[in-house]
Amino acid sequence: MAVTTTPQTGPEAGKPAGTEQRRIGSGLLDPKILWNSLPAAFKKLDPRVQLRNPVMFVVEVGAAITTYTAIFDDKQPAFNWTIVVFLWLTVVFANLAEAVAEGRGKAQAETLRRTKRETVARRLIDWRPGQTGTREEEVPGTQLQLGDHVVVEAGEIIPGDGDVVEGVASVDESAITGESAPVIRESGGDRSAVTGGTKVLSDRIVVHITSKPGETFIDRMIALVEGAQRQKTPNEIALNILLASLTIIFMLAVITLQPMAFYSGAPQSLVILVALLVALIPTTIGALLSAIGIAGMDRLVQRNVLAMSGRAVEAAGDVNTLLLGQDRHDHDRQPPGNRVPAGGRRVRRGTCQRRAAVVHGRLHPGGPLHRRAGQGEVRSAGAPGGRVARGRVR
Amino acid sequence: MSSTLAGWLQVGLLVAALAACYVPLGNYIAKIFTTNQHWRVERAIFKATGINPDVDQGWGQYLRSMLAFSAVSVLLLYGMQRLQGYLLSFVGPHMAAVPANTAFNTAVSFTTNTNWQNYSGESTMTYIVQMSGLAVQNFMSAAVGLVVAMAMIRGFVRSRTGTLGNFWSDVTHAVVRLLLPLSVIGAIVLMAGGAIDNFASYHTITTLSGAHQTIVGGPVASQEVIKEMGNNGGGFFNANSAHPFENPNPFTDIFEIFLLLLIPFATPRAFGRMVKDNKQGYAIVAIMAIIWVVAVAGLSFFEAHTATGGAATIAAGHAAEGTEVRFGTPACSVFAASTTLTSTGAVNCFHDSLTPFGGGIALFDMALGEIAPGGIGAGMYGILILAIVTVFVAGLMVGRTPEYIGKKIRPTEMKYAALYFLTIPVITLTAAGLSIATKVGQSAIFNPGPHGLTEVMYAFVSEANNNGSAFAGLGTAATWYQTLGGVVMLLGRFAPEIFALGLAGSLARQSPVPASAGTLDTRTPLFVGMVVGVILILVGLTYFPALALGPFAEGLH
Repeated sequence: MAVTTTPQTGPEAGKPAGTEQRRIGSGLLDPKILWNSLPAAFKKLDPRVQLRNPVMFVVEVGAAITTYTAIFDDKQPAFNWTIVVFLWLTVVFANLAEAVAEGRGKAQAETLRRTKRETVARRLIDWRPGQTGTREEEVPGTQLQLGDHVVVEAGEIIPGDGDVVEGVASVDESAITGESAPVIRESGGDRSAVTGGTKVLSDRIVVHITSKPGETFIDRMIALVEGAQRQKTPNEIALNILLASLTIIFMLAVITLQPMAFYSGAPQSLVILVALLVALIPTTIGALLSAIGIAGMDRLVQRNVLAMSGRAVEAAGDVNTLLLGQDRHDHDRQPPGNRVPAGGRRVRRGTCQRRAAVVHGRLHPGGPLHRRAGQGEVRSAGAPGGRVARGRVR
Repeated sequence: MSSTLAGWLQVGLLVAALAACYVPLGNYIAKIFTTNQHWRVERAIFKATGINPDVDQGWGQYLRSMLAFSAVSVLLLYGMQRLQGYLLSFVGPHMAAVPANTAFNTAVSFTTNTNWQNYSGESTMTYIVQMSGLAVQNFMSAAVGLVVAMAMIRGFVRSRTGTLGNFWSDVTHAVVRLLLPLSVIGAIVLMAGGAIDNFASYHTITTLSGAHQTIVGGPVASQEVIKEMGNNGGGFFNANSAHPFENPNPFTDIFEIFLLLLIPFATPRAFGRMVKDNKQGYAIVAIMAIIWVVAVAGLSFFEAHTATGGAATIAAGHAAEGTEVRFGTPACSVFAASTTLTSTGAVNCFHDSLTPFGGGIALFDMALGEIAPGGIGAGMYGILILAIVTVFVAGLMVGRTPEYIGKKIRPTEMKYAALYFLTIPVITLTAAGLSIATKVGQSAIFNPGPHGLTEVMYAFVSEANNNGSAFAGLGTAATWYQTLGGVVMLLGRFAPEIFALGLAGSLARQSPVPASAGTLDTRTPLFVGMVVGVILILVGLTYFPALALGPFAEGLH
């Protein structure tokens, strides 16, 4: 249900943002992923699983019937077995597409977790404000405790969520916010919060860790990715309704064909009827439905946006009221032309402290912000310290 | 002047006349169904019946009113036919009670706007039953179809409300302001053209050769006009519009074709006007017109060319068998295509005698689901639902919910739309399959081979789509066909209307979505082409096996 930006991962994560437009593929056609998904694809031949996709269920039943016929009927064995092979291949390939879709979420979570594991934190032992020359030790980012102090210098990744308690640094938060311009983080005041996974570009800061292990921003993202089940999007549900009714119509057309064929003196074999049925029903769309869903998410991944489900993609597509949040510091930095229009309003004073402008199909300056209760929700995880701004979608 | 040229001139004249009526009549229909004012006569009707016409009904309530009205109509019509021997015989020839099966079939048939007839009007029904029963239902069933279409359009127009208007007010407005005035004018034109309208009983006369012939009188013109204009098609005489008293000459013939196309082709204008975007209306009417022109051209082509006809056709030089010589083959072709595309079902020639491919086109026309232009009202809500399906298919998985006329097509809407287009093929194929597979069904087939198959398919496609034209050659007076036919007509009419109203209710509850860059423009030729494609593919695939074994097998033999 959420669209959030992912932290940049992998070897390029350390490069300054903006120097290179990097696109991440989802690995849909990666032979390794295909191979790994194969067992799952066969496991999905279980009729109880297939029942969820009526079109493919019909194909599977058809495949079973033709197999039976091919075994016990000696007429036209070559033709019969060809049909049998084609039908089973159709079912397995459809399953494969879905298995790849499900395997992808797991792969992404694994990448995120590896980033976290590989981040090394320089923990300061018994640090006191103003103290210099404190002893430091290197620990994995995952072992940081609430209240620890870590030092981060230019070129290093901030290992966990926290507040700057000493020093000033420019931080590249593009991995989290998508904003390519670095921001200033300094001790004291509002600009002290930093997020794990972001990168210090200059100077040296000491960060007071404010999140418990397993509750950092990245941890929550991992949980989201892993917990995200392949939910059907509303469009997909509607499409399934359409496909199911088409399947029913064509089944009837084929079932009634037999008495008519008898009447006309040309009864057809069961294998031919099944083949005709599979040709008539929308098999291709039914089989590729999940692959189409992945393609949508893949597009977002390429732009460094992580979509938990196709549902989120659609919710984003349906947005016609957008709350443009602007961090106050960033707002102050904006040239005057980019400032929020006069009609903008403060949302959730005290929580996010953001100004927002309402952009609508027809502009509603100063109009009520939450115009309608929505079906979906879009989150932009842009706020420092992992605070989340929410926009309602109609 | 060759008869082909005459045929094309007829089509040209029809197009010109319909185009001239499109804007004024469409605007008038829109006005009827958007006004809150009631005429004095309407207020009198509401007062007499105790109806409050200004209460807005939700879709469920609208539906219940419609179903209750239709149920009472069926019962009333059934009662009148059964009791005509006692009560209703004081004008014209005396008739005995109509048999129960026939009375049921006929009552259902006229209430559902089908007007399937398996009786001869002139020798079965008294004048009173024809006038106050059948003709009244011609008005009422047409009005019901029209108001369901208007409720559907209101679903697009209204927002954040569950209401679709008031059924009783709508029906009254439809009859009083639209159907009655036009019928009076039309009846006068028909009478001027030579159609009869009297209470004369049978005249037995001696012909020149010395034989005796019985000439029937009756209130024909008054029933004829609403039969065509309301897309009913139930003739006063068994011969329907091929009878000289119903349709005396080529002028009345083209006038009747004009009447049966008039309101269905003007309704898209009313739609465009009500949704405040006339171009949407033009797109819909373009879809209808394309299919109509292609069907007329196709049917005319096969009737005019002998190669695909039988031996008699080749001997005669054109498909003369079963056509009405007063009108000629081209006029019959235009009539046949128009009557099967509009759910009218009136005939001026014998459809059983059309060439195999010509008859196949007539069958295909009905199988399209009566949407081009379709029955009065029924064509409009049918094509709107297909437009919704097209928008959905075209906007498939682009990453946002598709929308049509500012309303989103979500799973709820899709469910109703799918149920709508699922119903008719399921009913048709089930009934036809059962009839072909069983002895009782087969025994009524008079023509063996593919032609017999076409006859059975034609009968059920006609009844399920509420067309009512018959291919004949099938013993439809058999109990099996009368009973099953009655059920098919009921389901074919009311099940789709339930889903159409449900869809309208669901649309009316939504708030409008402003058009954006992601919205498919439904006013373009591209969209028109897509809808035509969706219609043809959907219907083509559904009925292809049956068409292959029937008309194709016969034509290619």
